[in-house]
Amino acid sequence: MAENIESNPFVDVSVYLFFEDISDKQGVEGFTNYMVGQAQSLAKSVPEEEYETWDDFASAVVSGESVFSSFESIEQISKCGFVTKVCPFSKAIREYIKRIGNFNPVHMEATDHFNHTIQPSAAHSACMMHQTYRKEVAKRITVGGKPLQYAQIGAKAYTGDIALPPESWKKVLLEKAGISETQGYMEMRENSCLYLLYVED
Amino acid sequence: MMDIAIYSLVDDMVSKAGTEGVVEYWLRVGESYAERMGKEAYVGWPAFNVAMKEGRTSLTVEGEVNVLTDLAIIDRDGDVIGYVYALKTCPMAPTMRRYISRIGPIPDSDTDVADSYNNRIRDSAVSNYCITHQKFREVAANNITVAKQALECLQLANKGMTGDVKMVPENLARINVDERHIKSILRSASCVFALIVKGKSAGEEIIE
Repeated sequence: MAENIESNPFVDVSVYLFFEDISDKQGVEGFTNYMVGQAQSLAKSVPEEEYETWDDFASAVVSGESVFSSFESIEQISKCGFVTKVCPFSKAIREYIKRIGNFNPVHMEATDHFNHTIQPSAAHSACMMHQTYRKEVAKRITVGGKPLQYAQIGAKAYTGDIALPPESWKKVLLEKAGISETQGYMEMRENSCLYLLYVED
Repeated sequence: MMDIAIYSLVDDMVSKAGTEGVVEYWLRVGESYAERMGKEAYVGWPAFNVAMKEGRTSLTVEGEVNVLTDLAIIDRDGDVIGYVYALKTCPMAPTMRRYISRIGPIPDSDTDVADSYNNRIRDSAVSNYCITHQKFREVAANNITVAKQALECLQLANKGMTGDVKMVPENLARINVDERHIKSILRSASCVFALIVKGKSAGEEIIE
């Protein structure tokens, strides 16, 4: 497991405020675009990875050795189903609430904007960054010579609200992850994020 | 993970808003962060310094601060008008270490934004984050009163990741502290600042 270096929450909170300032000047769309754009840039900066087998990849992800798990602790619940127990943004969110108070409503407005214009999978504004990072970083990983694919199934906000895909998508994603809907809900009770990682056959 | 976003966000913003635009964003963030922390009042310097030591003030949300009570700042009448404080660890240090370890070298935009601030506003930033951090302290200090007198924060010196040091000579002169003394404090700290009664100085009073 790589060394875990904790961030200073002073910095985390100021980044949220930076995004709020962007929304003052450029609206919710600007907020969303910057959050998505910087996650894409961040992912493009990480080193590429290649794994011979699926087991090699899954083992590297779970042990925190893959770039996919650089910022979060990931567990494997089925061959292609993975969960993140603790949202890596939860500490920053707690510190924001503790120091400043209620979250600026623009975060939920941007989340709605993302869910309506990009994909319906975010429970909080931080999910936009996190899910975009995962999607882009997956493109930098190959398993058995094939590019890694990522699809979000469930995300839980600090308020307890869970973002799930539309019924038609959910069924397909859960089937691909090899878990039932009930198991999916059980996983979301224990974890903050449930997603699918796979390579095309 | 939120903190790591800084570098890619700043990189993106420099390409869209230029280094000057990013400086303006950071200054506004520092100001709004401090304003949203609210106001504080202390009956006197001992109460305030205990709160600083115990990390209870808005100025200590950034990390542990050494309160250098041996460096009381005295005005020409012999009254204590403030003290010197040393932030032990830069709040960006863990983020920098994590970025370097997980992603790679810190992007050049970090230095470009800091240089833009240093050239146009004040030569006191060793990284782009210093801009918002120093602004935060200045505004937060204005929201604190000690014995019913508002405070003012004077940035004195800071040290970058590679060891480069920035000093603010005009502020050192205002509190009449020798540069060599501040350098010795920086050996075990990342940032040194003074908090004084607003408008006062170790010599003549400053008119607002």
